[in-house]
Amino acid sequence: MRALRIIPLLLTIVLVYLLDTYHAGLPAFGKLLDPVNGCMANAEKNNKDFNADIKQAALHGKVTVWLDERMVPHIHATDDHDLYYVEGYIHACNRLWQMDMETRAAAGRVSEVVGSKALKFDRGQRRKGMVYGAAHSLQALEADPRSKAMMDAYTAGINDYIGSLKGYKDYPFEYKLIGFAPEQWTNIKSCLLLKYMADDLTGYTEDIPLTYLRSLLPADEFNLLFPEKIEESTPVIPKGTVFDKPSLSAPLVPNDSLWGSITNADVEEKRNEGKGSNNWAVSGSRTQSGAPILCNDPHLGLNLPSLWYEVQLQTPDMNVYGVSLPGAPGIVIGFNDSLAWGFTNNYRDVKDFYEIKEVQNDKNKYWFNGKQIAYEMKYEHIGVKGQDDYIDTVDYTIHGPVIYDARFPGPGGIKKPLAVTWMAHKATNELLAIYLLNRAKDYPEFVDAIMNFQCPAQNMVYADRAGNIAMWGQGQFVNKWKEQGRFVMNGADSSTLWGDLIPMRENPHVLNPEQGYLSSANQSVTDSTYPYWYNGYFYELRAWRINDRLSKLPHANIDDMEALQQDTYSILAANTLPIMLAAVNMQENVTAKKYIDSLKNWDYYLRPESIAATVYQVWWENYYADKWKDKFKNVPDDLWPLPERTMQLMMATNLVRENNPNATEQDLLISNSFKQTIDSIAKIAAGKMEWYKQKNTTIQHLAKLPALSFGNLKIGGWGNTVNAAKSNHGPSWRMVVQMGKEIEAYGVYPGGQSGNPGSKYYADFLDSWVEGKYYRLQFLPNTVTQNSSAIKYTLSLHP
Amino acid sequence: MKALLSFILIILLSAFAEYFGPWWMIAVVAFLITLIVRTRRSFLVGFLAIFIFWFSVALMRDIPNGHILSTRMAGVLPLHGNYILFLIVTGIIGGLVGGVAAWSGTMFRRLFSNK
Repeated sequence: MRALRIIPLLLTIVLVYLLDTYHAGLPAFGKLLDPVNGCMANAEKNNKDFNADIKQAALHGKVTVWLDERMVPHIHATDDHDLYYVEGYIHACNRLWQMDMETRAAAGRVSEVVGSKALKFDRGQRRKGMVYGAAHSLQALEADPRSKAMMDAYTAGINDYIGSLKGYKDYPFEYKLIGFAPEQWTNIKSCLLLKYMADDLTGYTEDIPLTYLRSLLPADEFNLLFPEKIEESTPVIPKGTVFDKPSLSAPLVPNDSLWGSITNADVEEKRNEGKGSNNWAVSGSRTQSGAPILCNDPHLGLNLPSLWYEVQLQTPDMNVYGVSLPGAPGIVIGFNDSLAWGFTNNYRDVKDFYEIKEVQNDKNKYWFNGKQIAYEMKYEHIGVKGQDDYIDTVDYTIHGPVIYDARFPGPGGIKKPLAVTWMAHKATNELLAIYLLNRAKDYPEFVDAIMNFQCPAQNMVYADRAGNIAMWGQGQFVNKWKEQGRFVMNGADSSTLWGDLIPMRENPHVLNPEQGYLSSANQSVTDSTYPYWYNGYFYELRAWRINDRLSKLPHANIDDMEALQQDTYSILAANTLPIMLAAVNMQENVTAKKYIDSLKNWDYYLRPESIAATVYQVWWENYYADKWKDKFKNVPDDLWPLPERTMQLMMATNLVRENNPNATEQDLLISNSFKQTIDSIAKIAAGKMEWYKQKNTTIQHLAKLPALSFGNLKIGGWGNTVNAAKSNHGPSWRMVVQMGKEIEAYGVYPGGQSGNPGSKYYADFLDSWVEGKYYRLQFLPNTVTQNSSAIKYTLSLHP
Repeated sequence: MKALLSFILIILLSAFAEYFGPWWMIAVVAFLITLIVRTRRSFLVGFLAIFIFWFSVALMRDIPNGHILSTRMAGVLPLHGNYILFLIVTGIIGGLVGGVAAWSGTMFRRLFSNK
């Protein structure tokens, strides 16, 4: 039986094979755990010396990168090419895997690397027309020599970094964990990243659910519960601002059959209360120093590696500091040596749906204006790891791609074909806006720059060292007839098509208003005097609080501004709790009395350790559910009337109490919901009552691995407070800049500059962010040599 | 004594081979050494050699890193975030491959010899 002696060798081969390949979501353990080339090669020395001298033939001249103690690079280059080349190189050096994954997600290419579990997601992305939109934007980007040159240099920098990786050993950690390799960067990937942001910020729409709700409710009730604009809004452009005379007249509502019909429960996306942001600017007339102060905290998904990467960029004609998006050149939010700017999302609706009327017996055609039109069919090849490619057909109509149909029903099971017309599909060139914005010297140049920023629409706040403050509700919008696109429209009739584009200079804006401050927090953009009709998904509560605070700060300083960004005061609680407390009478119940007493002494701040905050939040949830659950029995709760609307209705009912059956009914509802609250609270484990433990704010790694994430952070607030730290999204970057003679800037984001989980710089800002602390941003002068004590390492790149 | 020789050769040569090649060079080296050098208890020799090699390299990278990555890996794997366990598991995985490869070298050698 000597031949059996071959068995150990076969066993070895099998074992090596098993440990060298990825099976069923498990890593290749041999490859990964090998300490020489595997994951431990990514364990960065805590005292690593980042001083380096790098030769890159593509450079025109010498580039110096100063790294400060927080690893923020300050890049000094002699021309634009070298600057963006090095920005790309450094983005890749720190965040390559993240850039790769985000663009894969945008393009619907995640299945290629993680297998069939991402197939549905990928199909959805293809059907949304993400690549279709990015390809249009690429054309616009490459048509302008400035944005093309910027983009080409940036891409070359990324690819030269990828080229410097000598193999598996040098790959970023997550490539080893998941088991794939970096691929070449191309310009369209940056376009995809921007479309990914546009989808995140404008992809949400209520057209489909509102269509359904309108069929469910009588018209007057529908308008009461879902008003087009909420009363008492404090709009982004302050009330009373005089708007220019519009160059386009309002289109008349056509007489045709305009609407599609949806009667099925077919909810598309969740109401994501407070995927919002705050920004404001205070004029020098209302600050202690006499210089304007600008603040911004965009609320986005809280992930690691962080969405943002801090950087300073210098060329002979530009000196700018702020946060960049790894995967795109330039700085998105920040300040230069003349002016500062910040963004919040502008929720005007730029995504509309059309019900497509299919031609019976011919699945290749649809009806439009009484004619049969052939779909333009696109075959989407989706690579799936470990399986054959999946091929999906997406039908393109005159309106845009058919996003849902029988082959890919919407989440509510809707099978009617619905096509989508979306500003994010258009050939827009936001990178040119960024390019110009980073270089703008004064207000007119700022305005010229943002005229290129079309989608996603943003409320852009502005402050400069000359003392001006301004706000623009900026984006490309359509001159719509009243209610156009508020509901799903009839796709078989040309009168529902989008009409003229509104000239962007007629977008709502204001410069140096009398009130001396400006703010936006995703609320309605204007009062009713704005001449163009629009709808959107606006949230009001944070704006009320910010405007209230700013109006009471005649001598604001940086500390006040930081405190306002940390503010957790709940307007909802302040307005509803007194009414709710008056309606309950449970003094005989010891537990109930304890909670009632704590609520009576509560100051409405959702502080991290507050127990009253938890009680109130649970109570409000219960009341809200009880209030609407019968009326909206078959409607998912994210489509119920907004909490602020519910609050207004409660307050209105409470105004007239005598002989008001509604008030009696409301009191009963409140008191019943309180009993439920006592029951739900009894189920919460001892020691878990503090508000931060209940909401569990978590910064999650993009691969959703708990070991690489940070949970249970001790931070207060909620989506409806200024400090909008929810469970998985919140202030992704906090910035306060005083534009005085000397620019004084502070900032923090929940993460770290390195994307490597094996680096001490992976999440080193997190504690400061949780505690509400800021870092002084090192805005270095635009000089060839530096003598700042903040500089820790110097990286020298040359041809 | 030959066992000691094999042990030392496996460590040195697999370190050399891994510097240029993929991780499974440890298997090739352990197999070839025990094929050439008659080694008793070859599984144990191969196991210990690679265990010590992998464990030491992992430790040498872990200490200057302050256990940041090893602790996170010990959370990604079901090791309760215990970095020492992670380093031991690293050694064991390498050790198993080294051991089986060394054993197969000895057996393969015997395929052609009378002993």
